[in-house]
Amino acid sequence: MKTAVPAKSVGVRQPLVDGVEKVTGAARYTADLAPRGALFGAILRSPLPHARIRGIDVARARAMPGVRAVVTGEDCALPYGVIPIAQNEFPLARGKVRYRGEPVAAVAADDAATAQAALDAIELDLDPLPAYFDAASARAEGATLLHDDKRGNLERTVEQDFGDVDAGFAAAALVRERSFHYAEVHHAMMEPNATLAQWDAERGRLTLHSVTQVPYYLHLALARCLGLDASAIRVIKPCVGGGFGHRTETLNFEIVAAMLARAAGGTVRLELSREETFITHRGRPETDVRLKIGLAGNGEITAVEAEVVQRGGAYAGYGLVTILYAGALIHALYRVPASRYRGFRVYANTPPNGAMRGHGTVDVRHAFEALLDEMAVELGLDPFAVRRANLLTAPHRTINDLQVNSYGLAACLDAVEERSGWKTRKGRLARGRGLGMACSHYVSGSAKPVYWTGEPHAVIHLKLDFDCGVTVLTGASDIGQGSTTLIQQAVAEVLKLPMSRFSVVANDSTVTPKDNGSYSSRVSFMVGNAAIRAAEDLKRMLVAAAARRLEVTPDDIEWEGETCRVAGTDRELAYPEVVAEALKDAGTLNARGAWSTPPETQGGSFRGAAVGTSAGFSYAALVVEVEVDEDTGEVRVIDVWVAHDCGRAINPLSVEGQVQGSVWMGMGQALGEETEYGGGGLPLRANFLDYRFPTIAESPPIDVTIVEAPDPNGPFGAKEAGEGSLSAFLPALTSAIADAIGLRLFELPATPDRVYDAIVARRRAERVRRAVKAASQEAD
Amino acid sequence: MERMAAFELRRPESLAHAIELMATVPGARVLAGGTDLVPNLRHGLEAPATLVDLSGVPGFAGLDLTPAGARIGAGVTLATLAADRLVQAALPAVAQAAASIAGPGHRSVATVGGNLCLDTRCVWYNQSEWWRRSNGYCLKRGGDVCHVAPQGGRCHAAFCGDLAPALIACGAQAELAGPEGSRTIAVEDLYRDDGRAHLALGSGEIVVAVVVPPQPARARSAYRKARVRAAIDFPLAGVAVRVTGDRERIERLDVALTGTNSRPFRLAETEAFAGRAVDDALVAELGKAVQRQAGPMRTSVTSSNWRRQVAATYAQRLVRELAATP
Repeated sequence: MKTAVPAKSVGVRQPLVDGVEKVTGAARYTADLAPRGALFGAILRSPLPHARIRGIDVARARAMPGVRAVVTGEDCALPYGVIPIAQNEFPLARGKVRYRGEPVAAVAADDAATAQAALDAIELDLDPLPAYFDAASARAEGATLLHDDKRGNLERTVEQDFGDVDAGFAAAALVRERSFHYAEVHHAMMEPNATLAQWDAERGRLTLHSVTQVPYYLHLALARCLGLDASAIRVIKPCVGGGFGHRTETLNFEIVAAMLARAAGGTVRLELSREETFITHRGRPETDVRLKIGLAGNGEITAVEAEVVQRGGAYAGYGLVTILYAGALIHALYRVPASRYRGFRVYANTPPNGAMRGHGTVDVRHAFEALLDEMAVELGLDPFAVRRANLLTAPHRTINDLQVNSYGLAACLDAVEERSGWKTRKGRLARGRGLGMACSHYVSGSAKPVYWTGEPHAVIHLKLDFDCGVTVLTGASDIGQGSTTLIQQAVAEVLKLPMSRFSVVANDSTVTPKDNGSYSSRVSFMVGNAAIRAAEDLKRMLVAAAARRLEVTPDDIEWEGETCRVAGTDRELAYPEVVAEALKDAGTLNARGAWSTPPETQGGSFRGAAVGTSAGFSYAALVVEVEVDEDTGEVRVIDVWVAHDCGRAINPLSVEGQVQGSVWMGMGQALGEETEYGGGGLPLRANFLDYRFPTIAESPPIDVTIVEAPDPNGPFGAKEAGEGSLSAFLPALTSAIADAIGLRLFELPATPDRVYDAIVARRRAERVRRAVKAASQEAD
Repeated sequence: MERMAAFELRRPESLAHAIELMATVPGARVLAGGTDLVPNLRHGLEAPATLVDLSGVPGFAGLDLTPAGARIGAGVTLATLAADRLVQAALPAVAQAAASIAGPGHRSVATVGGNLCLDTRCVWYNQSEWWRRSNGYCLKRGGDVCHVAPQGGRCHAAFCGDLAPALIACGAQAELAGPEGSRTIAVEDLYRDDGRAHLALGSGEIVVAVVVPPQPARARSAYRKARVRAAIDFPLAGVAVRVTGDRERIERLDVALTGTNSRPFRLAETEAFAGRAVDDALVAELGKAVQRQAGPMRTSVTSSNWRRQVAATYAQRLVRELAATP
């Protein structure tokens, strides 16, 4: 008998299993799925930023030939929202509109032109109210409330104090305070929003395909808003062209599509334009950070104080989680002995913000690292030395009860210092060229889920049948990040079988087990662990069958995948023979695995303690080299070196891609991306010309070093790889600009006009300083 | 998805037929590459009943370079123009301008005539129908207020074509054909300083070709474009410069700008630089002239002050670089 080599799948540079379809165009996305005869849905949006709805007259629209359904806020009286205690959004506005572009009515018609004509025929009677487009004016005394129950237009105020902050500052050798401002940014995922809703009028059942990252949360919201039993709904997530957090909560158009399908008694395709996709928003909020750090003479952090104000837009969404994240993840990167955090999440008449890659942490991390850099210079310390003075030793419990069980930051620092030539090049570049560095981290899934049901965090089912193939059933949403590939690798690794023995079926609620979805970088860690357990479950069944056939005990069986043998003998059995034995009597086999976060990782007991908790933290260090044109303010990124501690690279190819993508997205926010509302809350940049994410033309080489500090809780030791290195880019960039031209920026993005204005302001300040000095010398 | 209004597509097979259609079919619009027109149709900025596709007109995409000069058909694609070695050698500013436009996909279909006849752009105008309606429309289309300068009576939308300044700096002429016959005018005369009606074309008149005279001996040209991203973006300011002479003495200086005003324009009073050396004084004066004559308004999401400053800086740098080139 020929002995097969056990297959190795983890640690292999595995091209994504759905890659061929993606690059050839064969992959089918939601907008590709509409059957012939599907009705065209369209949404009427508010022309005003804040107004009371006096009436919506849909009679003319409803009477038009070819119009099959018209729905308004009257058709759904229950609010929805991803956070159970903060549900205040309706799929179609009720009572009031709170931002320009908010959906107020929708139609389904035989063709697109009729749908548009029907929208034009709807008459809105709106009574305008004062509107606010920044946090300060929304919070001002006497401002009209967006939501009657939220005084001061404050959605959530956070006050968290840990350790003795005042003593920490008193003991510091250097205390500095700075204020920073960050523009709002959007996910700009490639695929615009779309939903296909099919209503089975005979049976009262809904089937819905959508662009979601969270089919389960969508399923819950559909049941709630349509008043349907959850079992009458089937949610399917086809291929999704990116999410980055835009789709980590149910979005209004998804429910609207379902409402239209039911009202029309048929199938409705609802495809949003890029502008509408922007207006659906959910990005990183416009943020102000006031930050104060105390450092000892050797660079050790003695205390931190932060005040963060986020303009959260018109509805709650993930808002309270975002403002909590902003405070919680000040911790767990460095040793912080005392901290005081004040967070204010503010309602304003702009589209609602939400989760976005690096949720809640990115702007605060910029402020923190930028101030650390500035203070290091003042203390005469190298930026790397300041970080090294504050490293943790795992296991470590932070003062806000986050549990760090693995920590590869020291190795990340070493890697980028070496690869960038920092020691020999820093401070020796020509004027206009500069090097900057920074660190960052992120959670591998929130240790406490949004909905506390008592169910495991993740479940995987496996099916083994006569064909010897293993079907992996998962609710984990692959949105391009490669989770389907990773899950397949994890199962294959445990069973030591080649990848070709497996296929993955994902995201069909009638078939696949529930999963909370793709957000907070939870899938590799949580679903990966569940996949390992499911594979071990199946392996136990197979080993038992082999033992039966070979008439030994399971302990005597050496499992090698395509073959297994009795230990210490040459008695072997091929995998198909094992399967045949296993299926005898029982028939098709099902195995399962589930996983939950260990209780000690679920955080403390103070209010808001759940946010920021994780069973494993990733770490990153990053160096940027820039060239700055002092005459024009133009900044060019020359090179990026990044090291990311992902615990264990299950798929190094995919890890590199995710890290590069994170760096690139950070570069977008740092250099050019911003939404902007003008003319009273109209989105000025709701298109890919004015929303300036980088193109390949200005994308630098990104040198990725994978650092592996295995996490005791991680699948094969793995942690997240898709978010943690994003936020290091922004402070590394501004520190590099400071190195290049001696100018520190306190506002992002660093667009050429902003940098130019800062350069001009500095020149003017220098002139004034010289003049004052000259005058005082004259006076002497 | 943004829906396009229905239209009839006509494909004339001769220039005469094209002109006849333009003259007789009410509301007919010329279609070449469509990279400017189609997004505008999707935004509902225009709803022409008929589009006249010029791609079947013989010679429309002809490109001839001879010692007597260049004749560039209006239907020549930007990709063809940018990649042509003779154009690169004889008219570097033109080749550079073509290569800087949008992305490779656009350049493979976008044409010379289309880029010369681009609609003017404004952040209050290049928006959806819902957006503009919510804002009470604007002076350029549907409304009576210019949101850029509400007190003034004119539209400030900016011309954002890249080819025009390069062609102007190189002394190019535009060949036009219309119901009244054919005529040839300087490229700068193709434009008016009015964002609402910036093209000085007669009714039904079509740009047929661009003719560039032989460049003077010792002339060198270049184009530079200010933008936030190195691809896709329209110019926030674009500068073309032709220097005839050398650093010690320039015989002639031609400067043209785009992206800053409602029309591309030739910088006035550059005669004063003739016969002078390219030194700090000349460069400073040039910078001041650009700052004075460029008039960017708040038509883009990038500050108008920066656009004015960077136009001056680019002009200064190009003059120094070209004068220093042997």
